Amino acid sequence: MGKKEDILALCIEDIRSGRSSLAECLERYPSMRQHLEPLLRIALSIQEPPDIKPSNAFRVRARVHLVEQIHATRNVKQTWYPGWLKIAALVVAIVLAASALGTGTAYAAQDSLPGDTLYHVKLGVEQVRRVLNTGDTARVKLELAFAGVRLEEMEALANEAPDRIGTVTSRYERNIAMAIERTEYVGNGGASASVSEEAALTMSRHLCVLDGIEDNVPETAREAIRHAKEIAIGGQIEALRILTRENPLRAAEINLDTLQNRLYRAKVNAERNEAAEVEIALRQFEELRRFGEEISQTAKGLGYNTAAVDELNAHATSAQLEVLGDIYGKVSEETKGAVEKALEVSVEGHGQAVEGLRERGALGDIPEEPALPEEVPEKVKERILKPEPKGSGPGRH
Amino acid sequence: MREERNTGAAANIALLIKRAVEGDADSFGRLYDMHVDRVYRHVYYRVGNVPDAEDLTQQVFLKAWQAMDKYKKTSSPFLAWLMRIGHNLVIDFYRSKKDKAYLDYEVAAPDLDSSPERVAEAKLDQQQLRRAILQLHGDQQQVILMRFIEDFSYTEIASSLGKSEGTIRVILHRALAKLRHIMEEETT
Repeated sequence: MGKKEDILALCIEDIRSGRSSLAECLERYPSMRQHLEPLLRIALSIQEPPDIKPSNAFRVRARVHLVEQIHATRNVKQTWYPGWLKIAALVVAIVLAASALGTGTAYAAQDSLPGDTLYHVKLGVEQVRRVLNTGDTARVKLELAFAGVRLEEMEALANEAPDRIGTVTSRYERNIAMAIERTEYVGNGGASASVSEEAALTMSRHLCVLDGIEDNVPETAREAIRHAKEIAIGGQIEALRILTRENPLRAAEINLDTLQNRLYRAKVNAERNEAAEVEIALRQFEELRRFGEEISQTAKGLGYNTAAVDELNAHATSAQLEVLGDIYGKVSEETKGAVEKALEVSVEGHGQAVEGLRERGALGDIPEEPALPEEVPEKVKERILKPEPKGSGPGRH
Repeated sequence: MREERNTGAAANIALLIKRAVEGDADSFGRLYDMHVDRVYRHVYYRVGNVPDAEDLTQQVFLKAWQAMDKYKKTSSPFLAWLMRIGHNLVIDFYRSKKDKAYLDYEVAAPDLDSSPERVAEAKLDQQQLRRAILQLHGDQQQVILMRFIEDFSYTEIASSLGKSEGTIRVILHRALAKLRHIMEEETT
């Protein structure tokens, strides 16, 4: 190897893989040292930025949008298919379903898990049920029910085969995405509100179930369960976005219940000295609290009187701060920063709610500045209540 | 490329791609699930803010779906193909931007390898480095990002960009020399 480009590439690979150090590489090519060293230093300095991930709400929203676009193109492409072909497909599906259900196989497959011989039958029966349930509302309910089945599978696999939970989580994500997609199709009005509310409440329940599963799985399976929780939260946010168009107050109520639940989760984990879990639950709280502000803004944009939503958000602050104070008193110094951030988000949300109420002259007895818990030191309180003006950073991650 | 080096995963991806090329939306949805995080990170690194990164990531997958029948004719890994679509979209995005504010967005600091030698070796300012990388043009920027940020092999980069591995090494060399030049100019 003689060309300088090849030598540079070889040195980069050797150093990155740990086969050589920078010094060893330079010693191998003394005549090129001056040329190689600065370039290698730059190459080795380029590190992939960690923890940059899209939010789960975005993941679900983008997937739903993608599927919608695909269906839109497909509808155009398939308009020439004769009606009899669709009817024939339906008849075949019905015959398949009837024969599958008629034998004991489908029944026996109900309790099967990924890796079992009958699991494909179980998924096949689900697919047939999808074909038979063409209405949007029915499909939402069906996908939510299938998502519930995925949770049962996760629970069953937790101790038997935790390495298989990841595949179930992916299916759970698809069930949730399909439920949201169909919720979008339900349209406007009472039906949409009722379906999106049911979807949001179901995902809130899923979150509680997943907390329980997380507590009982071995460490190796925890990551997959955490991912499933993020999906449930992302799905709930999307369902609440739809509900906000029809009933923002109800959307705000459900969101507040879930974020309060995240705080209790953080508190339980603080009592168990599980710092990483505390931080995860607090991040989820922050995401939902910020989403509460989005509900208020969306409702305002749609012309709703948002006083009730803002009042709800403002009243919720004291309960949030109280729990955050408890958590603050229980966690180590390293984790206190995460609690302070959650306090900031709660106070910020309070400020926005107060602003909305003040504009309408509906502030009533709600304090403009919330009382921070006594566990928090004075200088931290001061910083939280009078934050530095924000720059144009990249946003949350 | 870490993900597709796993033979089982690669076979699974190949099957999903085959179905997606045939028009199976569910398979494409699963490809989306598998790749959205990587595509987002790639785009985010280049645009530096969440709303634009989300918007462009969404567009990458829509374009990919619309062009799935073209993918089967290429030999590059699926993720590399998505990155290429992302690269073109980001270029269009830059063209539509009059200011260069995206250069100054802060991207999370790197979590350096704990080896003291590696830390000492890789101590350049990441923000300065990112700004310099974003000033590289065309293939130079793409090769740097694909090799160092996305961890593609030279073979994968070569097939993705339709060039030989030797040419990729030449581009890499020129890109690093250019980065050195940009960074020296910035400090003086």
